[in-house]
Amino acid sequence: MRSFSVARAVAWRTLHNVFTNPSLFVPSLVFPLFFFTAFAGGLSRVQDVPGFDYKEGYTAFQFVFVLLQSAAFGGVFTGFGIARDFESGFARRLLLAAPNRSGILLGYAIAALGRWLVTATFLTGIALAVGMNVGGSGADIVGLYTLAVIVNAAAVLWAAGVAMRLRTMQAGPVMQLPVFVVLFFAPVYVPLSLLQGWIHAVAVVNPLTRVLEAARGFLAGTPTEVGAAFGAALLLAIAFSLWAFRGLRKAEAAG
Amino acid sequence: MSDYAIEATQLVREFKNGPRAVDGIDLGVSPGEIYGFLGPNGAGKSTTVHMLTTLLPPTSGTARVAGYDVVSEGSHVRAAIGAALQEAALDPLLTGREHLRLQASLQALPRGERNQRADELIARVGLSHAADRKVRGYSGGMKRRLDLAMALVHSPSVLFLDEPTTGLDIQSRTALWDEVARLAREDEVTVFLTTQYLEEADVLADRVGIIDHGHIVAEGTTDELKAQVGRPTVEAVPADPEEAARLAELLARFGDPCGSTKGVAVRLETGDTGLADVVRALDDAGIEVANLWLHQPTLDDVFLAKTGRSLEGSDDDEAEPARGELAAEPV
Repeated sequence: MRSFSVARAVAWRTLHNVFTNPSLFVPSLVFPLFFFTAFAGGLSRVQDVPGFDYKEGYTAFQFVFVLLQSAAFGGVFTGFGIARDFESGFARRLLLAAPNRSGILLGYAIAALGRWLVTATFLTGIALAVGMNVGGSGADIVGLYTLAVIVNAAAVLWAAGVAMRLRTMQAGPVMQLPVFVVLFFAPVYVPLSLLQGWIHAVAVVNPLTRVLEAARGFLAGTPTEVGAAFGAALLLAIAFSLWAFRGLRKAEAAG
Repeated sequence: MSDYAIEATQLVREFKNGPRAVDGIDLGVSPGEIYGFLGPNGAGKSTTVHMLTTLLPPTSGTARVAGYDVVSEGSHVRAAIGAALQEAALDPLLTGREHLRLQASLQALPRGERNQRADELIARVGLSHAADRKVRGYSGGMKRRLDLAMALVHSPSVLFLDEPTTGLDIQSRTALWDEVARLAREDEVTVFLTTQYLEEADVLADRVGIIDHGHIVAEGTTDELKAQVGRPTVEAVPADPEEAARLAELLARFGDPCGSTKGVAVRLETGDTGLADVVRALDDAGIEVANLWLHQPTLDDVFLAKTGRSLEGSDDDEAEPARGELAAEPV
């Protein structure tokens, strides 16, 4: 009970700060939209390439990637906030005031989700407004967004683990870079079958490839590799939960 | 089960590649007591507070706060204590009222009580006029008062104040002292107060512990500690400088001569009661004095006696009020 009370307080404060400060909120809305416009608009002729077999078209193909990207970066941006809290000393207040400290981590994760849900709603609205095709059923769409939620959770737990170990804003690149690499070593611009050479080899073993392929399948109404995708996403989330909780223990030990 | 609200046994904190910040201290603070923890910068005061408030695990030794072990029952300790640490870390984007609600929520106060408690504490610390302003516009004193209010949100039984008045002006400092004294007197809150201000410990604390280099070098009531280091000093300046030798001869009858930059001084053999005899003797001898003071031993004298040096941070601004215990106005 105390955990939830702490989580609610931490989430409220994080979301309050994000949504009442345009400098924090606007970039998280604008960047996914920029990526979506740049990728889906600028590369739309890719759908004419022989072998491009995604039936809902390039806009839908790119939408799924940008949706997952926004979920991942929504988590990472929340990690920046955690690092800022440690640097400013506010995290110490949370550690001191929270009878149950696990609730702090849960609160940050809830805030990351809340922040991303607004971005996702905005992005989906824009995508539908520009005529994105959706072939999936209601259940498929639930599957798509559930995968994105798990990605968001995995990302914030990763970033929280880094933030709590390094406890400085300078940890930003450490949080961001691996997520960036994993995202862009997946089949971002063309389907996996069209990738060649080392990037194909990397994409095949990249767990995010399973997630991306399944998510695109959900949107098209032809779910593929669903078990592998959820397995990979959940595995990442569980692994990063352990990472984040160990980070919290390290932050506690450091005082 | 101990009767102490705060108890520590051989508490040690050692940092990597660093000295022992706290080196085996023993403490016992009774419920409702104000315990002043006095020492210079780097003596180990804040590290001790961090261990007692569960912010930092001890390297060795044990400590119990409000009956709970700080290591194995940290969540119970945090639920029972309030703390205002040296750096009042506040969120510049939140208002004062929002800070209090956040704190109430962290402490799981029922939703209905949060606003009421926030309003009550805002009024108590005198921030009603600024409650709905973001704290980035608050002065240092306002931040300290808000910090104190936040520490009190859940009505803790033990309150830790880590140098609560550092950087405050006299008015803010006095207001905070009044509130701390009221908390101990009326609400029976145990207060553990670290300070490098001698006057603060003197005015507020029921008992004082002096820490230096991680060790407690003296402990007791302020009167007990002062009594350990000596007797009061009487200092006189003759109206006529030619009378200095006669004055010195007369005062020597009341105690051992000691240094004076202004006139003649002796350490009274009979304590405070000797002052009346000195005045009568001066009158009988017809020696007119321009000024006459009675200096009580200060906590700085105690610190000096126990550590061989004066307390850092007790600059003139701080030292003078302690000297202000002058019992006699210039005659």
